[in-house]
This record gives sequence, structure tokens and C-alpha cells, in this order.
Amino acid sequence: MSRFHAPSQRLLIGSLGALVLVLFVASLLIGYAPLDVGGALSDLIHGRDTLGALVLLQLRLPRALLGAAVGFSLGLTGAAMQGLMRNPLADPGIVGVSGAAALGAVLAFYSGLANVFALALPLGGLAGAAIATALLLALARNGTGTSLLILAGVALNSLAGALTALALNLSPSPYATLEIVFWLMGSLADRSLDHVALALPFMALGWVLMLRIGHGLDALTLGEDTAASMGISLKGLRLSATGGAAAAVGASVAVAGAIGFVGLVVPHLLRPLVGHRPGRLLLASGFGGAALTLAADCAVRLAPIRPELKLGVVTALIGAPFFLALLWRLRREAE
Amino acid sequence: MSIPRRRIPSLVLAVAGLVAASTAAPAQAPVAKPQRIVSLNLCADELLVHLADRDAIASLTYLARDARGSTVAREAAGIPINHGLAEEIVPLKPDLVIAGVFTTRNTVSLLKKLGVPLLEIGIAHSPEEAAAQIRTVAERIGEPARGERLASDLLADFARLPPVPANRPTAVVVRPNGFTAGGGSMVDAVMTRAGLDNIAGRNPADRMGQLSVEQIVIARPDVLITDAEPGAPPSLAQEVLRHPALAAMPARKISVPGRLWACAGPELAQAAAILAAGAREAKP
Repeated sequence: MSRFHAPSQRLLIGSLGALVLVLFVASLLIGYAPLDVGGALSDLIHGRDTLGALVLLQLRLPRALLGAAVGFSLGLTGAAMQGLMRNPLADPGIVGVSGAAALGAVLAFYSGLANVFALALPLGGLAGAAIATALLLALARNGTGTSLLILAGVALNSLAGALTALALNLSPSPYATLEIVFWLMGSLADRSLDHVALALPFMALGWVLMLRIGHGLDALTLGEDTAASMGISLKGLRLSATGGAAAAVGASVAVAGAIGFVGLVVPHLLRPLVGHRPGRLLLASGFGGAALTLAADCAVRLAPIRPELKLGVVTALIGAPFFLALLWRLRREAE
Repeated sequence: MSIPRRRIPSLVLAVAGLVAASTAAPAQAPVAKPQRIVSLNLCADELLVHLADRDAIASLTYLARDARGSTVAREAAGIPINHGLAEEIVPLKPDLVIAGVFTTRNTVSLLKKLGVPLLEIGIAHSPEEAAAQIRTVAERIGEPARGERLASDLLADFARLPPVPANRPTAVVVRPNGFTAGGGSMVDAVMTRAGLDNIAGRNPADRMGQLSVEQIVIARPDVLITDAEPGAPPSLAQEVLRHPALAAMPARKISVPGRLWACAGPELAQAAAILAAGAREAKP
């Protein structure tokens, strides 16, 4: 088994963590206006109220924090869903969980509910993601056939997309209809610390729920009966994964829109490095997702395209060909 | 000038600008006053309400009734409305249709084919162009005296503004979605007359570019002008205006509703007065 060639878990997590740290700092350094980051940081530490400190604290920091946290959520959720459904194509974007989360967030935001009660935004995203995840699990018990999973994703994505467009069209704001691009493709532009404070607690809750199920996912690779005989509560496992995915993806989408393919590409790239054990893949995928999202967000700011590209455009450019290649290989294996 | 699609919502307000009205109608002398005038453009709506007899207006756009964007919402309440669709316009048998050069193009081309008398108005870039446009429209609808009064009042209001100081405070306009008003625009002209130095005006690339919050903060303007409407329905576009980084900026903040300076009309002087008051209080 390739497990023997895989690097130790500690080394892998350490290097991925270091990569995330480097990209996080890069994200702080990259911006639209020249900024002496060192000076701004010292101003910030000494409590001096300068313009540089303002830009660093209120603009660059929330962007980098959200990039890392949203990426971590998507990577981790991809790994958890793939482990639970025992299917390498279960990505929150592809199966429609992100789309449903966007619908929930759109309803909370454009109805004005989020203005009255700020938590309505992440809660709306969470509710949408939870309904979609529960629906998928109900459809896809006992190990999921790839075609059923993809078809369910097509159905959920179309429905959520159509309802999102409908909600935006009915909104009284003249800007709403154009904002569908944000909800379908995602972006971290001009986000604030308020968004971080709103989403991070829900994401962290989701991370805890999903990171707890590593052992159960490992056991599940042996089949449900064997896993149950090892004392794994399948119901508890499903509940943890569903709740965790809903909280993490729901909160992510509520503040950053639906960023696709991170949860597909990252677990797939890292799987050989963790000896194909879904339990070990969880944390590694989280860090990998954070790294990919931060890198993509640096890329949209560095690319000479204004207004800046939506984040989901970059991740789809990387992820969609990857998805096709993956389908191609699955087809060959089936033959 | 190409107009990216995403700009269109702000154009819904700004659209009708008008300048040197390119008269598309055949050069027949307006013998009789038009009696069934239809407007396909918000700025034309406002001018008609100011200039035409109410009985002569057959239809205004639905935008005219929305107090958030229209300066004549109250007056427009009893007048029939249209949504810029040819099927609504033709049965009205208009003897004059006023349209903006950038809006409802399909309807306009159809009306041209049907030979409906048409006046197209462009975008005014200065109070003088606005006055010229007011006169053009007034002339065409057979109310030259009213047009002359409105135009000369507008110019007189601008002439009464305090003299522009040599050392003008810097300013930048932030609209929903982070759009700003660049050099050459009406907003830029009004700011200059009010004694402000539009930072975005120094960038010659664009008349209505988008700025990121970061660029706005780093530009260190003395005055930050937003058109945040307190009652605006929620949208991501409006969220930009409420970003904590903008609130924390040391600049003086002025709010000017977009409807005041989106069209050639008497409200331009009102916008200039608000800005001039803000400019006096801001230290350059």
C-alpha cells in the first residue's frame, strides 16, 4: 500500500500549515495601493491611528482571514463528504450544497432580515446547506453511485440557482440582479472584519464536528456493517458530517459566495499523501483548501483584469478540467 | 464609448443625460405643440414634468414614480407610466417620444421605423450643457419660455456659488458598487464649481470607474461623498458604502442623493450647494 511511501502525518500537516502561513502573509502584502506593511503593522501594535493601520486591519486582514477560513471549510467539507459517501466526486459545489447555501443567504440578505438581525445571514446559509446535505444523504445511502450523485448535484444546483435568480429579480434593489455573479462565483473583495466575526464561529463549529469523525470515516471504508461492528454509530457519523458541512459551507458561502471545486481538487491531490485514509485526509484537506483559496485570491488581485475576477472563476479554471479528468479516469476504471 | 453591462444599474439613474441633443426626427418645423408626449427616460421624465403642460404628457417611465431615484415622484403620481416597451408606446399614438441615447434602443429603433417623431437626449457633462439640453427639450415641446427660465435659473444658481479657493480640499465620490465619478463627468464639473478637487478626476482613463475600498482609503481625500440612501433596499452594492474602513476614515463625509445630479435639471444647483457647504468646512 502506498501508505508506506506517504510522509508522516505530522510532516505533511506541518508543511501544509507553513504553506498556508506563507500565502496568508502574501495575501496581506498584495493590494490595490502601495502600503508599507511593516510600518502599518507597527502603527497597529502601538495603537497609532494611521491610514496604513486602517487598511491593514480593516481591509487586508479580513480578506486574508476569510480566504484561509473559507478555503479550510471547503477543503475539509470536501474530504468529509467524500469519506462519508465513499465517492471521490462529492464536493460541496458539485453536489449543490454551496448553491443551496447561497440561496439561503440570498433570502436572508435581500429580504432585509440580515439588516435587522445580522446572524440571519450565516444562519440562512447554514439552513440552505443543511437542507441540501440532508437531501443528498437521504438520496445516497449505502455508498453512492457516481451517476446518482452527479445527477442529484445537477438537480440541486439548477433548482438553487433558479430560486436564487428569482429571489434577486424580486428584490427591490436595482443592483440585486447583477449580484448573482457574486453568489454563484464567490469573491473576497471589500469584505470587512464584521464578516469574519459573523462567519468564523459557525465555520469553527463545523470544523470541530467534521474533524471528530476521522476514526469513523476510516472504519467506514471497510463497509457499514463492519464499521457498525467496530462500535461506530453510523447515525452519529452522518449527523456530525452533515451538521459540520452545513455550518462550515453555509457560513462560508454567506460571506464569500459559492467558490467551487476547492473541495474536489484538494482532497484528491492530498489523498496519496495520507495513505488514502479518509480520517487523516480531513485536516490535511482543510489546510490544502486554505492554501488553494488564498493562492487564488492573490491571483485575482495580481492579474491585470479590472474589475477583479470572481474567485470562483479562478478555482473553476483549475477545478473543472480536473473534474473532467477525474470523470475520465473513473469511466476507464469502470470498463 | 463602450458601456460595460454592470454599469447599467447606475445608468438607470444617470441615463438620460442629454447633451447636444441629436435630433433624430426629420427636420420638420414643430408647427404645433406636441399634445401626446411619451418619455422613455427618467431624465426626460423630469424635464417634461418641469416644462410641459401636464395634459400634454401621455406617459412617463415607471422610474419617475420611485422617490429614491426620481426628483418628480410626487408630480408623476397621476401620470400613466410605461416600461420602455414598444407595445406600450405605439397604442398611445405619441406625437413626440423623448428617449435617452443609451436606453431602450430596441424600442427606439422600432419607433423610428414607424416614423414616430423622436427626440434623443444624450448625457450632459456640465451645467452649461445641462442648460443647453433644457432649452433643446423646451424648444421641441413648444415651451421655449419655460425652458429659458429653467436654464437661466440653473446657471444663475451656479454663478452664485462662493468663489473657488486656490487651495481646494480633495474629494472623492463613492457610489454603490464602489463606482466613482471621474474627470469629464457632470459630477466632476459640479464638484469643481463647488470648490472641491476630485481625486478621481486626475485619472484620465475613465469617467465612471470602479474603486476598491482600499484605493479610496489610501487616496486620503479631505471629503468623502457618498450617495447612500438610508432607505435603500439591501444589496451588496450598498454594502460597500457601509464598509467599516470608510467609516473610520478621517475625511469629512457628505451624502448627496444620486437623483440630484444624475440628470440635467434644477437639482444640480442643490447638489452643488450641499458640496460647497461641505467644502467650506473641510480643511484642505
